[in-house]
Amino acid sequence: MMKILVTFVLAIISSMLIDNVVLSRFYGICPFLGVSKKVKSSLGMGLAVVFVIMLATLICWPLYQLLQLAGIAFMDTVAYILVIASLVQLVGLFIKKYSPTLYKNLGIYLPLITTNCAVLGVVQSNTDQALTFLDSIANALGTSIGFLIVIVLFSCIRVRLESANTPKAFKGLPIALIVAAIMALAFMGLQGLFSGINL
Amino acid sequence: MEILWAVLILLGLGLLLGLGLAIAAKILHVKEDERIEEVAKKLPNYNCGSCGYAGCKAMAEAIVTGKEENLKKCKPGKEDANFQPIIDYLDKHPNEDGSKVKVHL
Repeated sequence: MMKILVTFVLAIISSMLIDNVVLSRFYGICPFLGVSKKVKSSLGMGLAVVFVIMLATLICWPLYQLLQLAGIAFMDTVAYILVIASLVQLVGLFIKKYSPTLYKNLGIYLPLITTNCAVLGVVQSNTDQALTFLDSIANALGTSIGFLIVIVLFSCIRVRLESANTPKAFKGLPIALIVAAIMALAFMGLQGLFSGINL
Repeated sequence: MEILWAVLILLGLGLLLGLGLAIAAKILHVKEDERIEEVAKKLPNYNCGSCGYAGCKAMAEAIVTGKEENLKKCKPGKEDANFQPIIDYLDKHPNEDGSKVKVHL
């Protein structure tokens, strides 16, 4: 029991920090650059992605078993996209109802979570690696929280960059891309985090 | 046989998700002034933003709620194609208390 718990937590941390979606697997760059100008909207975006990834994993894992049972495992991607697109619609309706300001701030990026490759990436990699249900959840949780952390950190830096004295040619997106590169380098430093742990 | 299963399962999945969304849309329905939608339809819908609003929908909202009276702020709009229909429409559809939405060219 203890061992399962430890592996679960380690799997979360590993997909959160060591194999970070944005900074080392380079998924989900579009919202990462698009919705990171304000801390508040980046937090909203991150939470929406966490919700979509978690729910998509919870639905898609049993769905894949069903597809396998029927002998049509090759239809997995199509079925996943169907599930993800509906979930994003649901999140959109939800945010529109309960936080119109966030709905306005997220704008076009909200329906674009559908095409956020991080979401499909997580679900598909769960399938490709033939992970168990528990491992899939750990992977989804770690990946999505990793996305949330990185996009919020990045938006905090970008808010400070606005008032920083950057050369004119670097204002806006160029300096943001450089910052993202430096963040990716910094996250590479976490690569050997688990090297001493034997399970 | 496989193809039949593929069609059936995806059809069922789509139906289930669609039904879920339809129910969710009913529950999470946001009451919106339907005049905003109508006015937005009558604007050019280039979403160019030269009026100073985030898009045609945002300008339509400002017009209907009375925050914006000057239709000419919409640069690509034509008088007979866009502005006159809006003025006519708002003339026929007053606010709930009976007062008219103020707009001019």
